[in-house]
Amino acid sequence: MSAAKARAAAKVTTAAAKRTAVAGKAPTTGVPLSNPDKVLYPAAGFTKTDVRNYYLGIAPVLLPHMEGRPLTLKRYPNGVDGPFFYEKRCPSHKPDWVKTTDVWSERNQENINYCVANDAATLAWLANLACLEIHPLLFKARKPDRPTSMVFDFDPGEPATLLDCLRLGLRMREVLSHFGLECFPKSSGGKGLHLWVPLNTPVTFEQTKQFSRAVAQLFEKQNPGQVTSNMRKDLRHGKIFVDWSQNDEHKTTVCAYSLRARSQPTVSTPLTWTEVEAAVKAEDPARLVFTADQVLARVKKKGDLFEPVLKLKQRLPKFTG
Amino acid sequence: MSSVTPARRLVSQNCRQIVTALHHCDLKSPATDGAQQGQVRQMAEETKSSSRPIWTGAISFGLVSIPVRLYTAVREKRLHFRTLHDQDKIPLKQKMVCPAHPNKEVHSEHTVKGFEIEKDRFVVVRQEELEAAAPKGGKAIEIQDFVELGQIDPLYFDKPYHVVPKPEGAKPYKLLLEVMEQTQRVAIAKVVMWGKENLAALRPLEGGMVLETMHFGDEVVAAKSVPGRQVMGKVDSRELKMATSLVDSLTTTFDPGKYHDDYREKVLKLIHDKAEGHEVVTRPTSEEEAPRGGQDLVAALEASLAAAKDSARGNGRVTEGRAAARNARHAHAHPGTHKRRRSA
Repeated sequence: MSAAKARAAAKVTTAAAKRTAVAGKAPTTGVPLSNPDKVLYPAAGFTKTDVRNYYLGIAPVLLPHMEGRPLTLKRYPNGVDGPFFYEKRCPSHKPDWVKTTDVWSERNQENINYCVANDAATLAWLANLACLEIHPLLFKARKPDRPTSMVFDFDPGEPATLLDCLRLGLRMREVLSHFGLECFPKSSGGKGLHLWVPLNTPVTFEQTKQFSRAVAQLFEKQNPGQVTSNMRKDLRHGKIFVDWSQNDEHKTTVCAYSLRARSQPTVSTPLTWTEVEAAVKAEDPARLVFTADQVLARVKKKGDLFEPVLKLKQRLPKFTG
Repeated sequence: MSSVTPARRLVSQNCRQIVTALHHCDLKSPATDGAQQGQVRQMAEETKSSSRPIWTGAISFGLVSIPVRLYTAVREKRLHFRTLHDQDKIPLKQKMVCPAHPNKEVHSEHTVKGFEIEKDRFVVVRQEELEAAAPKGGKAIEIQDFVELGQIDPLYFDKPYHVVPKPEGAKPYKLLLEVMEQTQRVAIAKVVMWGKENLAALRPLEGGMVLETMHFGDEVVAAKSVPGRQVMGKVDSRELKMATSLVDSLTTTFDPGKYHDDYREKVLKLIHDKAEGHEVVTRPTSEEEAPRGGQDLVAALEASLAAAKDSARGNGRVTEGRAAARNARHAHAHPGTHKRRRSA
């Protein structure tokens, strides 16, 4: 990202940020950034400023996918090569304009106060925390019983690759379409593929979990030797693990357009099925791995390919009725 | 009434106790298959990890401060059973319920502490108020006096802990230990453990120190206050002589290894035999792992797919998914209701 673009993306005026912070409203002009030159992706020379600018640039398409959702932060205070931690509880030192929401945790027998990001300022603040990856919960805070999507995470066990994931993703699309469900692919930003089945209708985690597990088990049965629905790492060798278990009120999946903490600043990028088919045909899965700058350019051209995920209303077939 | 976390802690304690007990009785491990052995190994590791210090702080002795750690010196071996539902053998959960609304569970955030000053009349005390009253000192075993051990009746002792110096405390620890050994005195100290002030005796034992927590004087029931324990009258000298010779003949050196909890060992043997005889009930796998009816749903999905393929061959086009799905309706039982809560 060029310096000029960076400046355009975020005009940092600390004083203005402070003024608005006092008012309890999200600042519109800028949020302080400490250690702006700190390199968080050493292999790419991608700095904290770059992270912040990416998130501010992608905000228009990213925010609708996070809006109103409790977020788990994956923070890398010393960059992608250093230690990281997951943060569920919104830090107590948060500015008062950062929104939060309480989610009851049965396990801890108490509420967990999660961050919510509904505006670009919060994204800038998260970047300042070196929160590289943003993992929202699958529900919106005001309706905690209702998952808005069902998700499948295709995770290849070595030596299986992204190409294998793409092939199986196409097959899964067929299976789901048989059940009257349309699904949308995004790259994980690494070797995996995520399939999102928008629901946006009254449904429970109980139902999405049962249905996704059954589909994953059926898929395993249909593709023995290639697919496993079992989480155990030692059963994964050379197979694609179709992870259905993220369809849980406590589990998170990386957000569309979130950065990933890999050696390059890759992004979990929404794809079209045409792109997936072409990549499989050309046996060139690498073309579906995009970095921050590429994604900003892509979005300018193609808009938000994941937009249907926000709106499309679908119902699970009534096997569970 | 227990919440989830203490219950869980209790369970792991139980496992630990049973495994230690099994080792102790020298019974063969009941584990036969790999999974069970894995469990036993894991439990054995827990036993090891239980030798972690349970408290860290310092002995404060005049101007000297001796950093030390406390380790459990006595581990109770009581057998614990979990309470299962007799029909499906699922461990039961305890719930707090208000008698006024018996169908609604009350969660811990909706509970307050009440001190019953007389029947049905309470003084409500908030957590902050209790915290404000909590002892401030913390993290120190503060020596108050030195006394002769024989002056303390065993009645006063509660729980013993081994006291181990941190490396930087080794020298003063050794000094204090030697002083106590040579003068035949033990230290009486106050120590704050887990937010509660305790009286304790610090005494030498086998080349190291032991801290015995003690009851405060007002916790001990005065012998005099218990009626009927003092019998009047004289003892016959001949009977006394006979009784003395009986006692003499039974006198030996104290060997704690000689006495066993026969009841516990019998019950353990029963458990062991039942496990060997495969009289083991397995808790039905949790929702996460494989719900009942999960395979039914897979079969229903499969049948639906197959039907679609057949009719596609017949009609020359792919059948509409939902119609096929409808055919398979009712193939799967209704899932249980989902429990979760959120507060604003």
